[in-house]
Amino acid sequence: MRYVTRILAAICAFAAAIVAIGPIVWAVSTSVKRNNEIFAVPPKLIPSSATLDHYGRLIAEGVHWSFVNSAIYSIIAVSSAVALGTLAGYAFVRFEFRMKNALLHLFMAAMAIPSYALLLPTQILFVELGLFNTPAALPILYAAHVIPFAVWMTRAHFASVPIELEHAAAVDGYTRFEAVWRVVLPGAKPALIAAAAFGFLYAWNDYITSTTMIDSPELRTLPVALIFFQGFHGRDWGALMAGAVIATIPPVVLFLAFRRYLIGGFSEGSVKG
Amino acid sequence: MNAQTTRQRPAAGESDPAAAARRAGLALVVPALGVVVAVNVLPAFFGFYSSLRAIFFFGDDGFIGWRNYAELFADPATWAAIRRSMIFTFGSLGLAVPLATLAAMGIRKLGAWGRLLLTVLLVPWAMSPIVVALLWKWILLPSPGGLLASILAHFGIEPINLLSHPDFAMPTVIAVGVWRTFAFAAIILTAGLGQIPADLYRAASVDGLTAIERFRRITFPLLSPSLLIVLSVLTISYFNEVQIIIGLTAGGPIHSTTTLGYQLFEVGFVELNQGKGNAIAIVMFLINLFLIVGYVRLLGGGRK
Repeated sequence: MRYVTRILAAICAFAAAIVAIGPIVWAVSTSVKRNNEIFAVPPKLIPSSATLDHYGRLIAEGVHWSFVNSAIYSIIAVSSAVALGTLAGYAFVRFEFRMKNALLHLFMAAMAIPSYALLLPTQILFVELGLFNTPAALPILYAAHVIPFAVWMTRAHFASVPIELEHAAAVDGYTRFEAVWRVVLPGAKPALIAAAAFGFLYAWNDYITSTTMIDSPELRTLPVALIFFQGFHGRDWGALMAGAVIATIPPVVLFLAFRRYLIGGFSEGSVKG
Repeated sequence: MNAQTTRQRPAAGESDPAAAARRAGLALVVPALGVVVAVNVLPAFFGFYSSLRAIFFFGDDGFIGWRNYAELFADPATWAAIRRSMIFTFGSLGLAVPLATLAAMGIRKLGAWGRLLLTVLLVPWAMSPIVVALLWKWILLPSPGGLLASILAHFGIEPINLLSHPDFAMPTVIAVGVWRTFAFAAIILTAGLGQIPADLYRAASVDGLTAIERFRRITFPLLSPSLLIVLSVLTISYFNEVQIIIGLTAGGPIHSTTTLGYQLFEVGFVELNQGKGNAIAIVMFLINLFLIVGYVRLLGGGRK
């Protein structure tokens, strides 16, 4: 009886894995097929001869520059958000200052502000400030979205590190900055990676903020560029799937590399929450 | 944690080391705080303020009180959009939560293979909603070339264009949204299942409880704190989902997938009626709040 349930569970698990991964494999397959095979009936999973023409067409249309834009925006936003968030997270644990609790609550409240509610006001604000449709717009918006989360993650970590660790480093002749940089921060790696990885997935995958904040083709992010490409070449499924593949590689590789920290970050937060 | 920060010797001319520490603490918080207040907190208030004004295409025609809201609620399209938002949200939950519960139970049963399964199921969650929409549009293409149509044709089923059929578009959008997100819920439920003491199940099998009884009397009640978290997080994320709808159907056909979130996008950014768009955002926020309070009342009562 037990044996039967295990086999049943394994079959269901296999089916679930196919449903999760199958569509992605199909996209990869489409992206390297020649056009006559893309529309073949019945469909073929493995093409008789592979081609990179579809990827070439994306480059001919300049879509690769949007890939570069997405990468630059995401990396600047995430690194500055994690840096600023870590400073604040550390200060909330190790320093006493006026309105400390009120400010901490402000960060938590900022996490509860739904992002759709900010789309219109920030657009009006950025138009007023001359930031609308500039390279700075998206890094600022993405960073602001990630900072509260980074504060929350790092603060929870620093609170679990005994102050004696820093005192011992001070006895060894480290300045306070050196003690934090060489002793405390390396231990905070899981929290920093989880915050950075979540931030990157959010920034890289965003479409709605990007499409409402950027007009110029040369400043576009990849998801927006793909939607425009679809508008012009709606039936070019080879190139569209090539675009889907290049847009998917960075987040999926990042997720697979850091899955331990990401899954840990979520389940830990929920059990404590 | 109070006096620990005062170890450093005060610089010449500074008499109070505690005051120096206060300044240092504040100085570390201010950069992060500045960005969050300027770009998140103040715009949130500005959004409410704007919802009380007539703003078209960045031109502010002044204060009009609650007229944006009155207009919104007088319009049957708003009520239709709210109804579709509810169908989308609860349809997605109805599909995602049972699937995630089953997945979590399977993941625990399978041990090391279960962890691998969780990783595999989470891959779609790492993808962009827009890319997911593009990918499924290709799979759902009626033919030739559409994968689903070809599989159905193999079984002699006539292919239909699911995304451009007013009755099938909404269920299809729900299914694609759930494909991307349900495994996220499985993480929390797997952790929740891990908290249930194994002794309880041993005792239950001694008492001769069936699998269904075990689920009803042990798993479900002890899992309800995790379920509360899953329901709250997924409700917010489904209620606010708009990117997958933009990518798959753009609110169509005949508005059959125009949810409140999509209406916000259309009114605010396509029609550029920014006053009314902000009013929709506030209404969405209030509905979110109402739903979460409802969950806490419903499921949170059993928590100690």
